[in-house]
Amino acid sequence: MPTLRGLPPAPRTTGVLPAAPRTPEPGCSPATRSTRPGAVAPAPADRPPVPEDLHPALWLAHQVARPHDGVLPSGFAELDAQLPGGGWPARLLTELLLPHAGVGELRLLAPALAALQRQRRTVMWFDPPAAPCAWALAGLGLDARQFVVVRSRAGARGRARERLPAADVLWALEHALKSGHLGAVLAWLPAWLPADALRRLQLAAQAHDGPAFLLRDAQQRTRPSAAPLRLLLASAGPDRLRVSLLKRRGPPLAQPLTLALVPVLAPPALARARAPRGPAAVTRAGAPA
Amino acid sequence: MLWLALHLPLLSLEAFCATLPPGAPRRPVALIGQQRIIAVDSAAAEAGIRPGMKRATALALTADLLLADGQAARDAAALQAVAHAALAFTPAVTLHDTQTVLLEVQGSLRLFGGLAALHRRLLDALAPLGHRLQTAAAPTALGAALLSQWHPVDRGDPVHGGHARSLPALQRLLADAPVWMLGPGREHWEALQGMGLHTLSDLRQLPRAGLARRFGAGLLDDLDRALGLQPDPRSWLALPAVFDSRLELFASAETSEQVLAGAAVLLARLVAWALARQARVSAFTLRMRHERQRRVTGPATELHVELAVPASDADHLQSLLRERLGRCTLAAPTLELQLHCHRLVAGPAPSGELFPTRANQDEGLLRLLERLRARLGDEQVQRLEPVADHRPERASRTVPTQGVAPARREGPAAVAARTAAAAAPALPHHRPAWLLPEPLPLAERGDLPLLEGRPLQLLSGPERIEAGWWDGQPAVRDYFIALAEDGSLVWVWRGRLPAAPGDAAWFLQGRFA
Repeated sequence: MPTLRGLPPAPRTTGVLPAAPRTPEPGCSPATRSTRPGAVAPAPADRPPVPEDLHPALWLAHQVARPHDGVLPSGFAELDAQLPGGGWPARLLTELLLPHAGVGELRLLAPALAALQRQRRTVMWFDPPAAPCAWALAGLGLDARQFVVVRSRAGARGRARERLPAADVLWALEHALKSGHLGAVLAWLPAWLPADALRRLQLAAQAHDGPAFLLRDAQQRTRPSAAPLRLLLASAGPDRLRVSLLKRRGPPLAQPLTLALVPVLAPPALARARAPRGPAAVTRAGAPA
Repeated sequence: MLWLALHLPLLSLEAFCATLPPGAPRRPVALIGQQRIIAVDSAAAEAGIRPGMKRATALALTADLLLADGQAARDAAALQAVAHAALAFTPAVTLHDTQTVLLEVQGSLRLFGGLAALHRRLLDALAPLGHRLQTAAAPTALGAALLSQWHPVDRGDPVHGGHARSLPALQRLLADAPVWMLGPGREHWEALQGMGLHTLSDLRQLPRAGLARRFGAGLLDDLDRALGLQPDPRSWLALPAVFDSRLELFASAETSEQVLAGAAVLLARLVAWALARQARVSAFTLRMRHERQRRVTGPATELHVELAVPASDADHLQSLLRERLGRCTLAAPTLELQLHCHRLVAGPAPSGELFPTRANQDEGLLRLLERLRARLGDEQVQRLEPVADHRPERASRTVPTQGVAPARREGPAAVAARTAAAAAPALPHHRPAWLLPEPLPLAERGDLPLLEGRPLQLLSGPERIEAGWWDGQPAVRDYFIALAEDGSLVWVWRGRLPAAPGDAAWFLQGRFA
């Protein structure tokens, strides 16, 4: 792809033509514009051929790219509408930036992972931040027994881990991606990474026929990254997730999306959470008032 | 009968060069035995060094000559590996002398599609061992051995030449062979030469009784055996049930690359042995004997490599060994390597496929897991297993991935049934996906827990879990789902019994992801 893959990544810059307008034209706001995979701007007959007709890897900066390597639908229609190709991209890194573990990231990924498990493809987890609970995963339609969890060795963990280059997990991740036998990869990477680590992983991911999710700390959002798709996740209240598309092959998305996740709370509890916050008195014997 | 002879003219040199460290600058090599040069390589031969020279003469000719002792045991181990590789093609293999292996291949011709195809596959199988070969085929054992050892310059290709399919053809070919090639003939070489006897045909024309009286009956017996006039029974080589081979390194290996280069020789022998047993390796052990340091010989290091899927592919075995070596630190430079294997899985290897299929996807995945386990250790590559226990810290368990994941062994119907059962559990979403390894004590203000200094809003609960009185770790807790300040949901609990003063009453158990 003759786009940004080999160039130093800039999170906000997308598209191939430097002269192309970076901001959407008036009346064509990205949130409302159709972004179907095959959607191309209708070209009047007297103009020269538009780039997207010349080659599928070309697109104008105000359009969303059409990946030709296959996508995996995320299971959320409003998110699919904004992702290039309509789903999680295969053979590309997808970076998910979280303020902390547990904002709803697994419920966001669960429909795609469950679809992979139905095809009997293996999902590998690298260094998850805590112990995954098999019963909770079962509740999301995932069979925990089919996950493979790879942890880096004890020497690389603990307090020193924040500074170590995490050679183990990067090595394992690169080989897993290169092998091309996995359905998807979820990796929780340490905060500090060597400068070329993401570029290496992106190169390795081209052999990986499936999505590759890197889950990193939200503080990394200002750092450049080689991942072609970057999403910032934050909680938007109970059972709701706010997703900002920081970078995609297409124009940046001005408004974050708010997705309704699989509910944890029963309706009365949800109503209680939506109600203005008051002193919730809990008695030792019974439920909260 | 059809015999195939494999003659290795440079066996002792090649066996020695396998012990040299990789990447060292090439120097002329000569082997020495009983103060005389016994073998030279091409660089040393160019410098004028010939077998039979004295050590001092050879050193005077080239200063940087690499002189080493010829070791019969080293040569025998290398020859044995060749014999093992040959055993994959016929059960009738025998060692003729210290440099020649004989195979009786009449019974294998039909299976392998003729002598030419068999010969080609035999050379392919021997290629990893890295020996120079001279081969010949003949109807008698000794005839084949003589043809393979004797390759005059004008007979063309030494590898493929010298095939005689019938006795008269063999007798014609051997008529010109020099008489010293018959073993006992060597002692009388000068006498024979003085009598004007140069070739085997000269010998055949003499009266037998006089020859036997002059040179002993052995010379005539050998001649008759070579020409097929006398039976020549041989005893076949038996394959050992356990593989054990050692390699003494010429220079002590200090890096893992040097150890690996030595181990590659042993692995090639191991694969030849496994193929001869029609089996695949499922585990092997590399033992490294170290140099003495400060007058103390340290204990030998043993690396045990276990394979999830038995393999007979030397490259794969070597890559596993490389990862395993990368994980350990060697106490001292290595002097000697020893490879041991007694665990084999019988049966042919699964056939390779050109296009990706489910089966080779699974195999590729298993190889990946094997590689990760070799590098990171068995405990770092895990699978999750749900356990029927109400205490959340015990409701899942990680087990090392050993071999095939269970879903792979079952049919699709069983998987679908289990997934359906798992998808409709009694507790749909009341369990958080992330569980902390230890419950985290929370501060409290008033009656409410605080997370990072902010109060939590309890939304749902309590759910009482009272279990574990039977195994001495009872949990009597009231669980609540709580809303944190930023909108995420957490799972907290409070001991049902009042906490001791000073102890935390609230604990964080997990986060809903």
